[in-house]
Amino acid sequence: MTLSADAFAYVADLVRRRSAILLQPGKEYLVESRLLPLARSAGLSVEELVARLRTRPVESDVTAVVEALTTNETSWFRDSTPFSALARHVLPRLVAARGGVGRLRVWSAACSTGQEPFSIAMTLLDGLPPAMDAEIVATDLSAQVIERARAGRYTQLEVNRGMPAPMLVRHLTRAGAEWQVSDAVRAMVTFSVHNLLDAPPAGPFDVVFLRNVLIYFDLATKRDILRRVAQVLRPDGVLVLGAAETTLGVDDGWDRVSVERGSVYQRAARRATEPAGVVTAAAGLPQPWLPPAVTTAGATRGEAG
Amino acid sequence: MNAPVTTVLDASVVHDQVSAVAQEVFAAMVDGDAGLLLPWEGELPVLAEPVVAWVDLHGDWAGRLALRTGAPTANALARALLGLPDEAEVSHADLVDACGEVANVVGGNFKSLLPGPGTLGLPQVGDVLPQTPGALRLQELPLAWRGQLLAVEVWSFGAQDAPRAAVATHDGPAIPDQHGGGDHA
Amino acid sequence: MRALVIDDSRTMRRIVAGTLDKLGFETAEAEHGQAALDLLEGGLDVDLACIDWNMPVMDGLTFVTSVRANPAWRDITLMMVTTESEQSQIVRALAAGAHEYLIKPFTPDAIRDKLDLLGLAVEGQPA
Repeated sequence: MTLSADAFAYVADLVRRRSAILLQPGKEYLVESRLLPLARSAGLSVEELVARLRTRPVESDVTAVVEALTTNETSWFRDSTPFSALARHVLPRLVAARGGVGRLRVWSAACSTGQEPFSIAMTLLDGLPPAMDAEIVATDLSAQVIERARAGRYTQLEVNRGMPAPMLVRHLTRAGAEWQVSDAVRAMVTFSVHNLLDAPPAGPFDVVFLRNVLIYFDLATKRDILRRVAQVLRPDGVLVLGAAETTLGVDDGWDRVSVERGSVYQRAARRATEPAGVVTAAAGLPQPWLPPAVTTAGATRGEAG
Repeated sequence: MNAPVTTVLDASVVHDQVSAVAQEVFAAMVDGDAGLLLPWEGELPVLAEPVVAWVDLHGDWAGRLALRTGAPTANALARALLGLPDEAEVSHADLVDACGEVANVVGGNFKSLLPGPGTLGLPQVGDVLPQTPGALRLQELPLAWRGQLLAVEVWSFGAQDAPRAAVATHDGPAIPDQHGGGDHA
Repeated sequence: MRALVIDDSRTMRRIVAGTLDKLGFETAEAEHGQAALDLLEGGLDVDLACIDWNMPVMDGLTFVTSVRANPAWRDITLMMVTTESEQSQIVRALAAGAHEYLIKPFTPDAIRDKLDLLGLAVEGQPA
């Protein structure tokens, strides 16, 4: 069951070029075990799978292999910037725009095992004024991950990934060797199976998280998905993509807004398809965004301390 | 049972919890991935050069968490932890420290599953566990790591675990070194 | 960036320091809290300390309390790295002034995630 050095080198190089992740020698066992499910479903050994990839590098196969090797436990507050952007910039603006009352609705559109929607819920629970509440609609294609997400229970290894310690003690409780998300947080999130190729869940939403899932689709489909998202997003609502993703070159119906170390997207001020007289996004655009605050260790520490 | 109130452990719960802890420790620290520490299948081999690493736990529950394996496997484990290449020499000090640390992390996580507070002793490594009078082996989990035997053992120092531990719900004489329910299928 | 790795296990120090090295840190090590304080008092300048809890001579909690009591060391980020995982222990550590808390066992990615949360710039990724 040992991968040949040659095959390992090929895979390591592929992963490095696609993801900047370095697979050092010594990780052959990891490569074997991660690629085994893929190989099995193709009726091949791992060695054969890699050989096939080399001679016939089909994009979806390459993506699947890279994903299998680079996806570890889904992390909480993934990439951190979107969540601090949510807490410090997006949320205060939306609260002000809504007059400090009512309900904010968020769609977590590729929610996987739940870390993302729960992270959003915790951020909102900590940041919303008393007269407001929030609802997070969390969807994913896979029924299996949805079931896990509904349980709201995570292993110690899973909670180690990106969860600020103060959040951990505030919003989760130990349950044996695992950690359970609090009832207050779970009550804010509803989970369901959903295919992004279908009509979106009923809007309108104030925020949509569509992170690291567009990569699986071709350009035309990406555009379709983004258009469907725009249909259920409020004019002054915000779209959050993955750290390395952009709407640029995909769908021109979005304006990029720089926030902290990243970006969020709003529906473009003018869209050719919108009839005159309809309230356009321009009316909902915020008063000038404050220049993104430089996130220093000191500023972050102030929260954790 | 008029022993003083102390923590009593259910052997089958111990089995599952220790299994989960061992999986997590190896997945995170040793292998970089889950699924490489598996239940041992088939007969248990005799270890020619046994290496045992253990930590003792004190408090409401007193006992010991031990890892038992063969010297070649212990060396491989040390290399994996220290990032040494396959054929590298492992000094005795490094072996003791590495295997001791695995016992420490598994023991520490096991401790935090116990109902009451407690403390962990320093990890120790040798070729055989010290004899502790009254010690009862609650569980033995033979596992396969890279195809080699690595067994995790939980020992209790308290007689209060004896009747409960041997058989989960049966009142009977203490049966040392039995898995829970072994005789009562 | 500079980190100080404090743990009585040489193996654990190597694992943590090794991961931090790959993330672009210069690392120093100490085997307990007192040795770590001696290094700081001797002028060692660090941005981050990774601290085990249970150590001889001076434990991690006492080290954290000492560092936070000294204004000269105000800018050092303090992260516990320990098997102690009871809720009450985590709360104690945070109350004593630790900024973050990593439960053993952890993966290299977990360290990277924590550093990201703390705003400590890292290079590359550990595999």
